[in-house]
Amino acid sequence: MLSAFDPDIFIKVLINLILITAAIIILKRDIVSLVSTYVIQSFFLAMLALLLYVEERNIMLIYIALLTIASKVIIIPRFMNHIQKKLNIKRDIEYHYLTPKQSIIICVVIIMAVYVFLSRILAELALDKTVFFGATVGVSLTFMGMVAIFSRKQTITDIIGYLTMENGVLLFSLFLIKLPLIIEVLIIVDVIILTLLATMLAFGIDSTIEEFHTKLHPFKNGNVRPKQYNTAKARIYRRPAEVE
Amino acid sequence: MILELYAGIGFSAVALILFFRSNKMMNAVSTMNALAHLILSGYVLLNMTLPAYYGDNRYFFIDHLGIYEVIIISTIFFFSAVYSKGYLEGSIRIGELSPSNTRLYYVMVNLLLSSMAFVFFANNLALFWILAELTTVFSALLIVTLNAKKNIGAALKYVFITSSCMLFSFIGLIFLFALSEHALGYGTLNWDVLMSNAALFSPKILFAAFALIFVGYASKTGVVPFHGWLPTAHSKALAPTSAILSGCVTSIGFYGIIRMYAIASKTPALTQASWLLIIFGLLSMAVAAFNMFSQKNLKKLIGFSTIENMGIMLVGLGIGTPIAVFWVLFHILAHSLTKGLLFLSTGIIHHQYESVRIENIRNLFKLQPLASLGLFAGCLAIIGMPPFAIFLSKLFILTEVVKATSSAMLAIVLLLLFVGSSAYVTFLITMFLQIDDEKTAKRMEKYRADIGLKLTIVALIAIVLFLGIGFPQYLNDVLTTIVKELGFM
Repeated sequence: MLSAFDPDIFIKVLINLILITAAIIILKRDIVSLVSTYVIQSFFLAMLALLLYVEERNIMLIYIALLTIASKVIIIPRFMNHIQKKLNIKRDIEYHYLTPKQSIIICVVIIMAVYVFLSRILAELALDKTVFFGATVGVSLTFMGMVAIFSRKQTITDIIGYLTMENGVLLFSLFLIKLPLIIEVLIIVDVIILTLLATMLAFGIDSTIEEFHTKLHPFKNGNVRPKQYNTAKARIYRRPAEVE
Repeated sequence: MILELYAGIGFSAVALILFFRSNKMMNAVSTMNALAHLILSGYVLLNMTLPAYYGDNRYFFIDHLGIYEVIIISTIFFFSAVYSKGYLEGSIRIGELSPSNTRLYYVMVNLLLSSMAFVFFANNLALFWILAELTTVFSALLIVTLNAKKNIGAALKYVFITSSCMLFSFIGLIFLFALSEHALGYGTLNWDVLMSNAALFSPKILFAAFALIFVGYASKTGVVPFHGWLPTAHSKALAPTSAILSGCVTSIGFYGIIRMYAIASKTPALTQASWLLIIFGLLSMAVAAFNMFSQKNLKKLIGFSTIENMGIMLVGLGIGTPIAVFWVLFHILAHSLTKGLLFLSTGIIHHQYESVRIENIRNLFKLQPLASLGLFAGCLAIIGMPPFAIFLSKLFILTEVVKATSSAMLAIVLLLLFVGSSAYVTFLITMFLQIDDEKTAKRMEKYRADIGLKLTIVALIAIVLFLGIGFPQYLNDVLTTIVKELGFM
């Protein structure tokens, strides 16, 4: 009955979907949907682990799926949404160095480079085609996360970039090796701690957000007040000079 | 048993700090904790048969390199703890530090010490990676003890650069695991197993793993081009934190590189690995040396000099002869102590002028003679003047450079060292010569440094001098054993 069910096709589809979520993370400006995209990406990863379990029957894959859902689909996104509401940043519109289009072009180049690199390096391990495809996307995802960090200004978006990188490493490891459970758990704990830390620090530093809002609405509140303030200040400073 | 003792000491220290309220008591606990680590490590080194393995999976072990590193960090933590009492009081007085943050400082210092000790005891490379990431968290929180926006920025930069680079290291570790699975039939990341079976691994994949792992560890070490976080973090943190960051935290990454290089040295991948280290070493030295020239901030200058020293150590390790590795190991010790001396002297200067920018420092010799002496001795020591400790390591590393490569390489290294040294000398001369006349000089009140601050500086000068003049035979034996254990001899 199950013979018609071929997990290999679903695995390939999921890998492609994960790649698409990474592209969305690079393109999107709206922070809420960035977090949701990350949740979807992590969910796909968990599904991938389950499908691999069907193929390999390694219990570790079930644990990894459960850990991924608990940490990356529930805990981290909840915390990030909470902080995001407090910070009240809706969009990350500024880009460093790269526009989204340039970033995507760079990512395509990266994927090709990773493919060439891995096919040379891993040839000796004689990997299955799907495994090789998964490994390539995994490493590419790590680089794509780095592009996201590199091209965005807001710390919250950088954190999503970092988390995408981490998902890439997980994807890569899913296909290649099975680490002991304790190590997997500790890695997840590490990622959670680092994310919490970075998010809290972002909360601390983003008092610059006021500046951000004045830039965004120059006609509402920005333009008038500084001028008055400056002239008053100038008068105070001019007086002693005149006396001299 | 020993590992439980280390963990027990660390946890009781943190628990006691959470219990106490006064700076004095929290400081006493920190000092005792560092001292206990030092004594325990001394005991392990003198009385135990090493290497000793722990846990069913042998995830932890204590070998000579590990315990040597723990002794170095405990010493630095001890001196910075003694120094911290007076320094934190001073920082609170000048309004730089909020009194409520002192507890955060002490908790993080002690957690960092414990996590670092376990980093050096990790036999499993994945565990090493996890613990190293944990040290990033504690160090970042130490940097934000000063609640300024610039500090938070520096901490974020540190977290992002090192954590993202460390993910590439993890990809390298996955390569290594897959490699062991392929060659041995079972996957492992235990260093001792990898070392003894390295010859079976494919050199091509091993070098790829080495290069990827190097990226992460290099970022923790502050190697160019992953160094962006280091000068900012060193200059923004409190002086004792900077001493710990420069003297201890950077050595975590370097320690990881040593372990990986030891595995690579058993295979034909050695030549490529060596060149990778030498190239990145030279690059770090060059970027650091030329950046040092333009510095106006004393702490940033010393921060860049950390990058330069990491560069020298990478070059030495890349040369890979037993003598070169021996002196690289000695350089780790000498560099940590000298950087401790430099940053702690700078701390007093910072409290005197509430700034470490060159234009604000005037009449330094008159106002702070001891800090001036510490800075002066530290600068001479770090640029490698005899009779200080670094002179020995630099001299012998350079001798090995010329023996193993060419005189052209020696010329490049010497030139870069010369540029770095002249940056120090220029800065020092300019700073010491900024003397006001009597009237204006009287205006600035002299900052009275606590006795703990003074004692630390005197002790550190003495140790750095002692190591340079009388190289102890016992240290010689320990370093030789480490070189043997790493398989270079």
